[in-house]
Amino acid sequence: MIPEEHVEEPISLSLTPYTGTWTKAEAAHLLRRTMFGPTLQQIQQAVTDGMNATVASLLTLPTTNPPLTYSPDEAVAAFGTTWVTSVYPSSNQSVTDNARGNSLGAWMMERCNQQTVSIQEKMCLFWNNHFGVEGSSDARAIYNLHNLYRQNCLGDFRQLVKDITIEPMMLIFLNGTTNNAFSPNENYARELLELFSVGKGLQVGPGDYSTYTETDIFESAKILTGWVVEELFSSTAPSPVANFYAILHDANNKTLSNYFANAVISNNGAAEYEDYINVIFQQPDMAKHICRKLYRWFVNYDLTAAVESTVIADMAATLEANNFVIQPVMDELLKSEHFYDMSVRGAIIKNPIEHMFSMLNATSSAPNFSLASNYEIYLQIFAFNMVLGMHYFRPPSVGGWTAYYQTPSYSKLWANSSYIKLRFDLSTYLTLTTGIASGTNNFKIDALGFVNGLSLPSSAPAVIDDMADVFTPKGLSAANKLTLKFILTNGQPDFEWTLQYTDYQADPGNITLSNPIRQRVEFVLYRLFQMPEFQTI
Amino acid sequence: MKRRNFVQSVALSSIGAPLILKNFNFGAVSKELFETSKSAEDRVLVLVRLNGGNDGLSTLFPLDSYDNLALQRSNIIIPENQLLNITTTNAFHPSMTGMQNMFLDGKLGIIQNVGYPEQNRSHFRSMDIWSTGLMSPTASTGWLGRHMDDLYPGFPDNYPNATYPDPFAISMGYEVSATCQGLLANFSLTINDPFDTFNLQETATLNDGTYYGSHMEYLATMIAQTNDYGARVNAAANAGNTLSTMYDANNELAVQLRYVAQMISGGLQTKIYIVNINGFDTHNAQVVQGSPTTGNHANLLANVSNAIAAFQDDLNLLGIEQRVAGITFSEFGRQIASNASEGTDHGDAAPLFMFGTCISSGIIGPNPVISDQIVDQAGIPMQIDFRDVYASILKDWFEADPTTIQSMFEHTVNFIPVLDACNLGITEHDAAADIMVYPNPCAESTTVRFTCMNEKVSVQVRDISGKLMIDVCSKTLTAGNHDILIETNDLASGTYMLSVFKQSGNFTKRFIKVKNI
Repeated sequence: MIPEEHVEEPISLSLTPYTGTWTKAEAAHLLRRTMFGPTLQQIQQAVTDGMNATVASLLTLPTTNPPLTYSPDEAVAAFGTTWVTSVYPSSNQSVTDNARGNSLGAWMMERCNQQTVSIQEKMCLFWNNHFGVEGSSDARAIYNLHNLYRQNCLGDFRQLVKDITIEPMMLIFLNGTTNNAFSPNENYARELLELFSVGKGLQVGPGDYSTYTETDIFESAKILTGWVVEELFSSTAPSPVANFYAILHDANNKTLSNYFANAVISNNGAAEYEDYINVIFQQPDMAKHICRKLYRWFVNYDLTAAVESTVIADMAATLEANNFVIQPVMDELLKSEHFYDMSVRGAIIKNPIEHMFSMLNATSSAPNFSLASNYEIYLQIFAFNMVLGMHYFRPPSVGGWTAYYQTPSYSKLWANSSYIKLRFDLSTYLTLTTGIASGTNNFKIDALGFVNGLSLPSSAPAVIDDMADVFTPKGLSAANKLTLKFILTNGQPDFEWTLQYTDYQADPGNITLSNPIRQRVEFVLYRLFQMPEFQTI
Repeated sequence: MKRRNFVQSVALSSIGAPLILKNFNFGAVSKELFETSKSAEDRVLVLVRLNGGNDGLSTLFPLDSYDNLALQRSNIIIPENQLLNITTTNAFHPSMTGMQNMFLDGKLGIIQNVGYPEQNRSHFRSMDIWSTGLMSPTASTGWLGRHMDDLYPGFPDNYPNATYPDPFAISMGYEVSATCQGLLANFSLTINDPFDTFNLQETATLNDGTYYGSHMEYLATMIAQTNDYGARVNAAANAGNTLSTMYDANNELAVQLRYVAQMISGGLQTKIYIVNINGFDTHNAQVVQGSPTTGNHANLLANVSNAIAAFQDDLNLLGIEQRVAGITFSEFGRQIASNASEGTDHGDAAPLFMFGTCISSGIIGPNPVISDQIVDQAGIPMQIDFRDVYASILKDWFEADPTTIQSMFEHTVNFIPVLDACNLGITEHDAAADIMVYPNPCAESTTVRFTCMNEKVSVQVRDISGKLMIDVCSKTLTAGNHDILIETNDLASGTYMLSVFKQSGNFTKRFIKVKNI
């Protein structure tokens, strides 16, 4: 049930640098779009640092450590060390692989939960959506693919497409590993053009999609023949590998359509795929497809004709001028007038991972137990996101999640009647119950830590104002704030909250004083997390 | 591709376990069976989406081209002697016993070579075309959404209301259906479990005219509707029942269809249900190497066939069979030649299935012709436009006005007969609404029983291609029940159609002649 309204057009469609006011609203907008859930402190710091310095921080990639072994089911890598370059045991590989898969899923959630002021995690998820790979094989192959995104998330897009083309997980997923001269399999060839690079244009004739043709798919499948994935689940090799076999490669000339200037790709063995991708990237409209996807991910779903002819064209020009390196495009976009235009604030309904970590990260809630307990808790968080529609390593199709392409609903698809109920259940679970259990450890939202970090926690109105700043893109109405304050104060005058909080602060270890504070904040968060205003960024 | 459970150790239901009181009571509620529907208002359409592009040529085999087919797809072809024959020239995949029985019972119809002009082989674009029924790339409404916009203008404003308390469409699972996208809203309510009650917190929000405002309005409206509709759905599920023992709890499609039967039988006035099964994009490992009757496609077809057969059985036991019709759809068929990965790549047209007691229970359209030459990337050419199937369902099943239907499509609509006897049966006297052929299958003879007025009656037996085999009789009969014996000694074994023509209604039943004993 999706009301579709005609909405206000943006006032500014320009990528020239934004020079307007720089307050918590603008800083929080920037951080919400590029991270999963900034804290009040991170927002305040961004106000202090200003836009340029904050964007510079966001576009700096931290170094991260790989996933660790935490399960006794892992037969090779020692507890607490990484398994990503470990061989498999010679028997019962599936037990070890399951342990590795769980470690990977848990680690991924830990990455999202412990984010610094960097765009890295949001970009990783972006590429994971763009290439749409269903990670289902040797856990090392899934990790290696992810690591490719992570290391190149702001880098050379052309090189990323080349690397992905012969990445073992992709060769498995789109059947490249069985694509050979004797019987080409066109699965990857098709998606490379349709989804990963130039993108599909309007169909203008039989098998003619105005950016490529069915003939191109047929011919390019042959270009990509000869690659075979080996050493999957190997007990001797540290990683699955893609090997090129000339005997499986179609050595004939391949002729592309007029969309590629009728280019002829001649035999170049293991480097031929690079020749082909270089040709693809020469197509005039090449840069636009990926810029549209970046725009939908970071700004707004609605690619109007006006946006297409201004913002997208300008982003594409920047991408081309920078030899397809993504970083300058993001730098320009995140500092642009258009990005801060009021018309696009709050224009995106959170995806499940944004929803999950906007609750956890903004309240600085992270499990802090043993390695094994933390990973077990993160694994459950992984599963919650899966139930809510976002299995991190398995988009529903090679096109990614429907919310990023399905007209006219787009991100509304994340919050239909089934999912919204689960969202409310989840936020209830993380606020009002004992939370996610791992052995005797329980993890839930740290309401006390959260309220203590606010600007003036002893003031009920200030607490609610801070919450509106942290959790909602356009604030809350006076009536909604009153509702929340009524819950916080339990219907008492504001000074009663101040007294209660001051007593608690004087004796913070006293649970008879801290418990009521914690509970009131939990009740407020519970209610706030069910408000429509919380569902968008 | 091997699908391994990524987080096997995590109980997925844990999200709801501590919070939701599940209210399962299948079969515990006894109730009066629903009255047989007399009008289009009460009719229900079930859409079964085969997501990924089903390989039609491994679903319904054209036996007259079997040898060429075996040549084109030698690594996946199923041995002819293991196929399930439904006519002398058509056979089902060996997994499809359920649908084979439905076909022989006259409860399954097949339309061959369904597609659209200039097939688009992108999953995304093609599914859009199938969902909207429009070729225009800017189309945003679904074919059923346009129909419902016509009937319930202004939705979602002022819905639900006293006249229409129930959701117009239900999409099982977590996704709204693009087929139900209307001008202002999507008509489909997503229901994952009709027993799980809805009681969501409602908040007043304002639409400030921006994208954000439209989200606020959407969320507030959706939450309110979810509560209102959810209560109705829950009540219907609790009042309803399912009776078939054929549902398999491990078959996700069967679980969805069982919920649908439960809701229909509980009196929910929802007109459209959408169920979904994923996994048809069988580029590789469509069959197990060296064992072509097993593998992913065999499992998928078994799930589809078993689930639909269980659902039909349930509707029959619940006495609501005449209210419900269903169709399958998939974004495209697959290429004629297989690839080296024991799979098939994106192709063109494929058969579409209709089910129910009221649908045209034959095969519409000829077998596709398979050449003995492998042509790269060749698919099956389209002969029947899926948009005409949709238009015909709107006309015959929902009794929409043909002029209005035409206005919902870009192309010139060509109606095809998607309903047969039951359509008349619904409006005529029930006792006259059917004929019986027994025994069936038969050997030396069989008997047809029917009711007529004082009128002229002709009885004929034709083969599956329509050729007249026996002109049984053509004479005026007195009003009442009649049994007419038909000698079948001289018929070759196979499937035949027995037709009774009379002014008060024509009926056709399928029967099988087996070898003479």
